[in-house]
Amino acid sequence: MSEVILKAEGLSKIYTLNKRKIPALSSVNLQVNKGEFVAIMGPSGSGKTTLLNVLGCLDKPTSGKMILDEVDVAKLPDKQLCNIRRNKIGFIFQTFNLLPYLSAAENVELPMECTRKSKTERREKARKLLELVGLGGREEHRPQRLSAGEQQRVAIARALANDPAIILADEPTGNLDTKNKYEIVRLLANLNINRGTTIIMVTHDSQVASHTERMLLLQDGRITKEKQGLHLVRKKLMCPHCGSKIQPEDERCPNCRKRL
Amino acid sequence: MGALTRAVRNLSRRKMRALLVIIALGFSLAIMVSIPAGIIANQAAAQSMTTDFNSTMTTMQEQINKTATLIECQTSGQGMFPGGSSGFPFEGSRQQQTYVNEFVANGIRTISGVKDVVEFLTASSTETTSETISGPGGRDFTISRPVYTITGVTLNSSFIDDYSILPTNITAGRNLREGDSGVVLLSLNLTAYFGVGVGGKVEIYGKSFKVVGVYDASGQGLMETRSAYMNITDAQTATGLTGNLTRLDVYADDVSDVDSITTAIGAAYTSLQVTTYKDRLSQLDNMQTMYNQTLTNAQATLSQTDTVATQEIMIAVVATSLIVLFVMLYTVRERTKEIGTLKAIGFSNWNIMSQFMLEGMLLSLVAGVVGIAIGTVGAPLLSGILLPQISPFGSRGNSQFRLGTANAGNFGSFGVLGASTVTVTPSLQTMMIAIGAAVLLGALGSLYPAWRASRTRPAEAMRYE
Repeated sequence: MSEVILKAEGLSKIYTLNKRKIPALSSVNLQVNKGEFVAIMGPSGSGKTTLLNVLGCLDKPTSGKMILDEVDVAKLPDKQLCNIRRNKIGFIFQTFNLLPYLSAAENVELPMECTRKSKTERREKARKLLELVGLGGREEHRPQRLSAGEQQRVAIARALANDPAIILADEPTGNLDTKNKYEIVRLLANLNINRGTTIIMVTHDSQVASHTERMLLLQDGRITKEKQGLHLVRKKLMCPHCGSKIQPEDERCPNCRKRL
Repeated sequence: MGALTRAVRNLSRRKMRALLVIIALGFSLAIMVSIPAGIIANQAAAQSMTTDFNSTMTTMQEQINKTATLIECQTSGQGMFPGGSSGFPFEGSRQQQTYVNEFVANGIRTISGVKDVVEFLTASSTETTSETISGPGGRDFTISRPVYTITGVTLNSSFIDDYSILPTNITAGRNLREGDSGVVLLSLNLTAYFGVGVGGKVEIYGKSFKVVGVYDASGQGLMETRSAYMNITDAQTATGLTGNLTRLDVYADDVSDVDSITTAIGAAYTSLQVTTYKDRLSQLDNMQTMYNQTLTNAQATLSQTDTVATQEIMIAVVATSLIVLFVMLYTVRERTKEIGTLKAIGFSNWNIMSQFMLEGMLLSLVAGVVGIAIGTVGAPLLSGILLPQISPFGSRGNSQFRLGTANAGNFGSFGVLGASTVTVTPSLQTMMIAIGAAVLLGALGSLYPAWRASRTRPAEAMRYE
């Protein structure tokens, strides 16, 4: 049986606006196994980002339980939540959120700054991660000298900096063109396959979501639907269209030539 | 890459804004640097003024004591600017010069108790020149004065040795001596005017004289600066005033004889203004009173300066803190999303707070250096504008406090106070304190914005656009 990395039980989040209570999440139950690539889909205002914020310890649930890597984080104080975010979670944002006055390598190093890693170790790891996301040799480039797709790659490298247990991606392809969108999804999928990284991705793009293993549909703060994506068969190195053998790095099926 | 590097990068990100803030903070800190420097300069100026006054008074008292047997007899119109003893030398108007005959000198010599009579003839050229001199409150005055004034002296070697009848500060050539004729001793100013040196010839009252020596008249009073000394006979011949005198220095055998001689001269020669050591002591008392008043004013100004300085420094401190506070509040607001990102990737509240405090302190540190630079260059101007003036004589301009020159009024040959100058330069200690204060105020001003940044909830910060 697969190891559970994240488990939410009866997770609720209610915002209060002018004494009016607005429920953003209502009794969400969710379980994500280690090494899974999950997409959370839903229309605007369905609570996708709120759920991701709660799962990422950026916000506290109003009620419910949330176990991350065997720790119930729902009621932890801020200081410990900060440690959880630093060591167990990697964030990828729609607008990349890179610091414009830092180079690509310095942006990747940033999460490691609060750890015990030496400067040399940090620099070396940043270099390796940038190489992993296909930006080898671009270490000294500042965000404004990188394309949107490249900036998102730097953000992915930054999310991997402290070897987190889980990566939370909030609309990572929302600001990208079609070509870059698929490149980023493929990069995430490959990280999931090759490194076993657990990824939860929020998206409203069904095509992007179809590249994940499991798609959860969120409506009015509740998970209403769940279905399998193409990623599972891809993960088993089978073409989801014709069932023939494929390699992880293949963009198209060598047999049916359909896009993977 | 640590928090400091990020702070430096952030400062250099918006160069124009950083520059403007640094200049604003710099001026605020420059005030903090300039005011203590101004106070120190004020105190030094007051000290210097006191020392000058005391020294002058002592010298004058000594001179009066030495010349206790001297009775000065002058005709009216003596001196170019017969101002009162309480006023400045530019007051009054020129009077018609009168003369006495040499027979008067011979008559005085017959009075019982008279030891020596030294004869003088002073005359000024009719040709005038304009000259600018410093006056009270730093204002400059343009005056019209004779191009030169000649003083004819009885060149008797015993007179020259025993009495101060000739200038002593010879800078070139030699002094006059007994038997000299057709020669002249010129003040430095006049050598420049005539364009001659020792051995050269000058034309005075249409007669040619050979220059045998040059003396420095600075600090000797306005009259002396354009003076020429010569044999009295030469002076009388040149001016066409043969047998005439303008001044007689009468020396008594003993101080006890002074009163009787004075009475006798006063009775016999009413056209002479007679001055004895008692008159000079009285004038000295007047001067002492005037100087005491000046010193009292200076002390009052100093104490007023302390109060004003404290208020101004407090304003500068508050202004500096407020500038840092508002700039950092704006920065925190502007970088809310960045704060959210940093928190999302694991930065603690303390990490965030120290980052923004470091930025505020760095900003203030740079501003402190700029402030010291502005303060060093502008200290005289800034302290001049911000602090009360130290002296009724003085002014502050350019790079110095000028206390001006207090004139001895009608004291004739008695000295004048030398001008005291004190430079307003912030000390190294003041600079170090200013840097420390800048960093401290930077920390203080950025404390609240940094705390606010650290308390930002990451989920809310991420939503901020």
